[in-house]
Amino acid sequence: MALRGLAKSFDGKVAVAGVDLDVPAGSFYGLLGPNGAGKTTTLSMAVGLLRPDSGGAWVLGHDVWADPVTAKQLLGVMPDGVRLFDRLSGAELLAYHGLLRGMDPAVVDQRAAELLDVLALADAGRTLVVDYSAGMKKKIGLACALLHGPRVLVLDEPFEAVDPVSAALIRDILKRYVAGGGTVVFSSHVMEVVQRLCTHVAILAAGTIKRVGTLEQVRGDRSLEDVFVEVVGGRTATGEELAWLSR
Amino acid sequence: MAVPVTAPASQVRSVSARHFVKLKLRVMGNNFRGQGWRVALFLVGSLIGLWFAIAAFFGLAAPGLAGDDRYALLVAAFAGGLTVLGWLLLPLVFFGVDETLDPARFALLPLSRRTLVTGLFAAALVSVPTVAALLALSGLVVTAGVFGGWSAALVAAVGVVCGLLLCVAGARAVTSAFASMLRSRRVRDLAAVLLAVLAASLGPLQLAGVAAIQDTDWDRLTGVATVIGWTPLGAPWTVGIDVAQGRAWAAPVKLLITVVTIVALLAWWSRSLESAMVGAATAGPTRARPGVTGGVVAQLFPRATGWLHRDRFGALVAREARYWWRDARRRANLITIAVVGLFVPVMVNFGGQGFTFDSEQGFSAAGDSSPVLVSLSMLFVGLLAAVTLANQFGFDGSAYAANVVAGVPGRLELRARITAFSLYVLPMLAVVAVVIALVLGEPTWIGFMAGALVATYGAGLAVNSFVSVLGAYSLPETSNPFAMNSGAGVVKGMLTLLAMVATGALAAPMVLAAALLGDAWLWLGLPLGVAYGVGAALLGAYLAGDVLDRRQPELLALVTPRR
Repeated sequence: MALRGLAKSFDGKVAVAGVDLDVPAGSFYGLLGPNGAGKTTTLSMAVGLLRPDSGGAWVLGHDVWADPVTAKQLLGVMPDGVRLFDRLSGAELLAYHGLLRGMDPAVVDQRAAELLDVLALADAGRTLVVDYSAGMKKKIGLACALLHGPRVLVLDEPFEAVDPVSAALIRDILKRYVAGGGTVVFSSHVMEVVQRLCTHVAILAAGTIKRVGTLEQVRGDRSLEDVFVEVVGGRTATGEELAWLSR
Repeated sequence: MAVPVTAPASQVRSVSARHFVKLKLRVMGNNFRGQGWRVALFLVGSLIGLWFAIAAFFGLAAPGLAGDDRYALLVAAFAGGLTVLGWLLLPLVFFGVDETLDPARFALLPLSRRTLVTGLFAAALVSVPTVAALLALSGLVVTAGVFGGWSAALVAAVGVVCGLLLCVAGARAVTSAFASMLRSRRVRDLAAVLLAVLAASLGPLQLAGVAAIQDTDWDRLTGVATVIGWTPLGAPWTVGIDVAQGRAWAAPVKLLITVVTIVALLAWWSRSLESAMVGAATAGPTRARPGVTGGVVAQLFPRATGWLHRDRFGALVAREARYWWRDARRRANLITIAVVGLFVPVMVNFGGQGFTFDSEQGFSAAGDSSPVLVSLSMLFVGLLAAVTLANQFGFDGSAYAANVVAGVPGRLELRARITAFSLYVLPMLAVVAVVIALVLGEPTWIGFMAGALVATYGAGLAVNSFVSVLGAYSLPETSNPFAMNSGAGVVKGMLTLLAMVATGALAAPMVLAAALLGDAWLWLGLPLGVAYGVGAALLGAYLAGDVLDRRQPELLALVTPRR
């Protein structure tokens, strides 16, 4: 996946100011950044959910904005902060996504049953997704993105609000997917996960890429968290303020 | 002296209704910021409200200005009573209630229920309709003043203010109660029945009104007005006239009736409010429903859609069909179509012909309803059904992203949505045509009535396909089916009006044909109407689908609620 000069501003406020990114095929790519850095905006523009002011995005050579049909077939997407069609049950939702991708009903049946089983969602039966817990919603979202066997998987905050057991499960599935030749791009601000999974890392802050490269290049001989805080320019509490907290 | 941690009360300032009003004004103001067209629409809406208010003001002040105190009580009781009824029922049927301040947002704050209810009540009073109604009803004060001098005017003013409080409290209580009822899946059928009964009671009331007006016996009418004056419907509005006509003792009693009603309504509201606040956070405990049979694809398709192919189109239709039933907001719309669709034609076709209670022939007494009048009422039902889709993407909210990611072609999307909605609406329209024709005692009219219905509905689908793609707006993500953003209120009204006018223009040939073709239309009406409707809907989906293809991401941005 390649992004070139992606830029977007909302009501005159710049959210993303020209992002260039090359995601090699078969890589496990982590997009890091503090809240409000423009991660979601960037990924939305990369997958065709948000029209960029300028710049473009290509998936395996196909332009997302000029030739959306081909590009979208190769993509599996799990957006963050977007509702699912949550008045369907998990099984119904999977069937909907599968058929929407033009898959054969028999294949949908077989894959969906496997996914529900592996993700431990089969017990939920006919419970509507709206009544799922946050972790279950993430898992069913991932299942929807995986169902049609995409070549590139774009996940926005896949580990947010997920309990450790589910997180481990999601990690395993993603590792297998990459080992099988797939490409994963995901955003996160959980350093520990990124450090364990990713082959490549980009740090995004205030709408621009601050550091980019393989995990080793970006990290050097320090911990990823130190690099991240330094790049983003965080502050530490001195102890003077918030004194009333320790009454 | 050490301050105990558990007693911070000394620093907590009490929260008054003023804070809620300021909060509401601030939210409204922020909605307008940088959105010139919203300000413009708000101004237009306000001007229209002002226009109606001034007209109503002179209407209500007419008895006083004319100096004829025979009608004063009549006008006060009937106009006031209608105002209260309208305030109670219209939000349920058409407009929705302004949820700028969503009660669920206050669930975590340490506010007593009394504070919350008074605050939200005060905030609800700050709105264009309230101001317009206050202006209009001041006409009663003028009338009372002319006949009874300053004291009567003063009492009337107090009455009008109390009456308006009653209206707002009633509207809040009713919509809040209904919202919690519709959310609970167990009670949703009961809610449907209740709404139907409520609307059904409009029919007899209107017939009684017609009977009373045709009855030139003014004494009897005055008697009815006197009775209404003693119910909460008319009590606040008639106090001024009572004082003016020398029944000063009635004023305190009637004001007491009003105040007791307001307090009862607020108490009712406060009870349902609690469930609304808690309900929004958890949506209640739900059991995992067992009983999974067959593959996932078989589960997606409801039984009524079994004939569909298991492909993109089929999946879209199946999902939409499930949503029209499972989404409380959409279900409320379906119920509205069913109820209004049956009762408006009945009222229109019986309203004009002097239907009195002592008529022994009952409903079949109809004789002077004409094909043109019937076609017009069918036109209205078709309009109403189709305009439900004016914001069809807004119902989905950000979930629409799934379709954008999958790259669903616009034409396919719109055709599927139309098909799924028609699965519900076409049977309803058929029932409307059959029932109305039988009630009118003209079974031979079924054909052209159904034709007019389908033609209007189809034309409406075409128009609303465009409206839904170009004029979508986001709905708040609450479970209250009557909720909408305050800024969207006027937008919604304007768009709905525009769509209805355009649909009416497109469907006008059906009425013309009914007027010109005479008996031949009895046979031609159905095939021509259905062909016209289906053709219009398909053409609309074809053309609007092209537009949708070019603006999918923009549409998604429009329907995604701002946070």
